Amino acid sequence: MKQTRPGRLSGVGIVCGRELAAFFDSAIAYVYLISALVLLGSLFMNEFFLTGRLDMTPFFDSLAPLSIFLLPAVTMRLWAEDRKTRTFELWMTLPLSPGQIVLGKYLAALSLYSIFLLGTTPIVIMLVSLGSPDLGLILSGYLGAFALGMLFLAFGSLLSSLTGDQIVAFVASVVVGFLFLFTGHPRVVAVLDGMAPQLGPGSWLTENVAALPHYESFVRGLVELSSVVWFAGLTAVFLWLNTIVVTRVRS
Amino acid sequence: MIRVEQASRYYDDVCAVDNVSFSIGSGEIVGFLGPNGAGKSTLLKMLCTYLPASSGTLEVAGHDVASEPLAVREKIGYLTEHNALFETMRVSRLLRFMGRARGLRGEYLDQRIAWVTDAMTLGTVTGRRVSECSKGFRQRIGLACSLIHDPPVLLLDEPTHGLDPLQVVAFRDFIRELAPGRAILFSSHILAEVAEISSRLLVLQEGRLCLDETVASLKARADKENNSLEGLVIERVQASAAERSTA
Repeated sequence: MKQTRPGRLSGVGIVCGRELAAFFDSAIAYVYLISALVLLGSLFMNEFFLTGRLDMTPFFDSLAPLSIFLLPAVTMRLWAEDRKTRTFELWMTLPLSPGQIVLGKYLAALSLYSIFLLGTTPIVIMLVSLGSPDLGLILSGYLGAFALGMLFLAFGSLLSSLTGDQIVAFVASVVVGFLFLFTGHPRVVAVLDGMAPQLGPGSWLTENVAALPHYESFVRGLVELSSVVWFAGLTAVFLWLNTIVVTRVRS
Repeated sequence: MIRVEQASRYYDDVCAVDNVSFSIGSGEIVGFLGPNGAGKSTLLKMLCTYLPASSGTLEVAGHDVASEPLAVREKIGYLTEHNALFETMRVSRLLRFMGRARGLRGEYLDQRIAWVTDAMTLGTVTGRRVSECSKGFRQRIGLACSLIHDPPVLLLDEPTHGLDPLQVVAFRDFIRELAPGRAILFSSHILAEVAEISSRLLVLQEGRLCLDETVASLKARADKENNSLEGLVIERVQASAAERSTA
């Protein structure tokens, strides 16, 4: 069978497969998965032994701030490496649209993050074997973790496409992640509102920019449509911007 | 198969390709010559859809480069200037990936992988990672990737770079075998090599096409004027540079 262009979805799948394999070809995936699981597992077990509660909320509470560092570690190479090693030109001369390549790379990063989340299921198994935890709350927390990952990976991919330096991509993603999370922190809101009480910049940022209130609603067991739309919408915007950047980089 | 009409390309204020026109038909092997910075790679990048033209028209296999980039990419095999490859991939997986990205599947994909592996004598390195291969092998892997889908148009940016003399000879024979039914445009710095392989020469100087002539005609002219091929090309390049500076 002779063909010269894959279909839209199969093109995305081919890119995703290559990128996911590239994570595991080097030490990145192994180091990332092991260190993230050990770090978060240790934090949770420490909390678990102190409180003795059959509840994964402390796990999800620690996951959000750690995601600021863990997720940029996945996205920093997505485009920056291609730009540095000039394989960007190879990608852009394949019969695949920039959108297919952006989506394929993004899905590869999301798959790696999903493998990490799957790696935390022994915690759920342990809690279930010890008693009757609220499985709805746990599922909702996982949905929140996935949604937060979707968002962080999307802007991480965008920032990686803006530079040929992985360190720059990592630092920029950490800064943006920090802004997304901590603009919603009550102390930060209070400080910002205190600086300009008439304008209330802290409250405005919390309502419009901060990811933390949306994430926390998932963690507390509330799967609100507004939060789902917020995460999905912003993710789509970042991926769209990523496609524009990738198209423009050539010219 | 390749048609370039008054194509120009600017990088900000710098003109890299200046109002260039030529066409290449099926079965032609055309060598692209010129000093560093003459615009050879830029023009190849424009033809492979990587860089948009600032003005002019470029067509490959009947498709407009600007409006039908994916259709053009289907029809071309492109070897990049620096032969950038996915370093951590094993050669066999790289070839499979490149084939799948070109829409090849099943038995046909297996056949094509077997063919390029044999044609480029990659049998001994298919299990190795690209980063573990020598420069000569890397160049052949790049060529194999550009040939995997049996494209009707080949754009090769310095394809013999990194090959040893024996491999260069093998490459010449191979390109000649490939030529029927294809348009092949390749760039090089080495006139003797280009003259040996190609039927026609295109010489760029500071972005302008200063010579477009068949190798046979050039050789006849060189004999007539008691000059060497190299001498004729250098004279033309110098004359073009002089015309430009006076203009």
